[in-house]
Amino acid sequence: MKRLNQRAIALQLIVFLTQWGLMITGFGILALIVAPLRVQLDPSLGRYFDAGVKAMIALVLSIFWLFIWDRQVRLYFYRKKESAAEPV
Amino acid sequence: MLPSGWEVTAAVLLAIVSFPVALVLTRFFIKINAKRGIVGIDIHKLTKPNIPEMCGASIPITLILLSAVYVLIGGGNSLMMLAFSLVVGSAAVVGALDDRLNMRGIYKPLLTLLCGLPIVALGLLYPNQVYNPTLQVPIFGVFHLPVIYPLSIPVAIAVTSNTTNMLDPLNGTMAGGVSIISAALLIGVVLTNPAPSSVFLYACLLFTALGFFYFNRYPSRAFAGNVGQLSVGAALGALAILSRNEIASIVAMFPNIQNSFFFLSKIKRFTEHRALTAKPTRLLDDGRLASSSDPKAPLTLVRTLLVGRPAKESEIVSTIFALYLISGALALITMILVG
Repeated sequence: MKRLNQRAIALQLIVFLTQWGLMITGFGILALIVAPLRVQLDPSLGRYFDAGVKAMIALVLSIFWLFIWDRQVRLYFYRKKESAAEPV
Repeated sequence: MLPSGWEVTAAVLLAIVSFPVALVLTRFFIKINAKRGIVGIDIHKLTKPNIPEMCGASIPITLILLSAVYVLIGGGNSLMMLAFSLVVGSAAVVGALDDRLNMRGIYKPLLTLLCGLPIVALGLLYPNQVYNPTLQVPIFGVFHLPVIYPLSIPVAIAVTSNTTNMLDPLNGTMAGGVSIISAALLIGVVLTNPAPSSVFLYACLLFTALGFFYFNRYPSRAFAGNVGQLSVGAALGALAILSRNEIASIVAMFPNIQNSFFFLSKIKRFTEHRALTAKPTRLLDDGRLASSSDPKAPLTLVRTLLVGRPAKESEIVSTIFALYLISGALALITMILVG
């Protein structure tokens, strides 16, 4: 264990656990709330419009998920903005 | 017809053969590529040694060869093996082209989008026999994606292949990381849904990656090249879809996702590492690596691990493997939660 950067591993464990929990919650929202929605305007294109709207919701959730990931890593590792050489 | 337990055992036993095959093929490529001058400089060593490049070609060859043997002996789902081989083979061709032609950064993701098309095409020809558009979500059940799922397959293959390509900056990182990911997913498949074809392909990927890792581990005697990195990433993506482990595969690839996301968010374009003006790390006089002090340098995973603490290359590689062990364990839990 001496050869490992234990502090980095501990911080990354926090990041991964948080992202994992958020990811499962996000997929839960998609499965329980978004998927049962029926968004249809034009009957001929309704299926594709419905899929498109749901894809957009999933995309927004993904961006939010990545934003939280970004904030966590910057907070734990790069507290001094954009100057990565500085230790926390 | 053999009982399922025997089928799974036979699949694993055949997959073990991929280890010596990958060893022999990698050794062959080391000799051939060194002779032909296909070498790269190991920039993280003080002596800057020349290491044979493109030796990762052994990986797609082994995977495709063993898949064909598995089908020929009547063990596997031939459609699944065909789809897997086409994806891995096409990604290997894209990688080899990039290795030889040094394409601009944008072409690689665009071309790897095409690598997912064999799964989509075979899925349209043989509905529900190649992929299943019902996503299995841990704890919360399933949801059906008849339109979005096939459209997202090329994107998934492009993401997994390129993200694997991006996290191979140090000796053995890609091969070791993929070995840990495949081992975790293999255990998950065996525990939850031991379909022989899925078990075979995960075991095959594991032993092939280990065979290559023998020569690629610190200090490297062989570099994978884009041909190896893209094909291994495409194999992970294809397996996620074909064996229905999409979410667990994303979790297993957390270190790759973090590396790629921070690289792209900083650089804001698809580019090659060689084209970067500001490098994420620098080599110190004592042979250790340190985080770059250049504010324009990308925030890669390696740079993150080096913040405020220069370290030897072998230490960083071990730390990255520890991160893969964490993400692999989370992926295993995800698979158990899916059931």
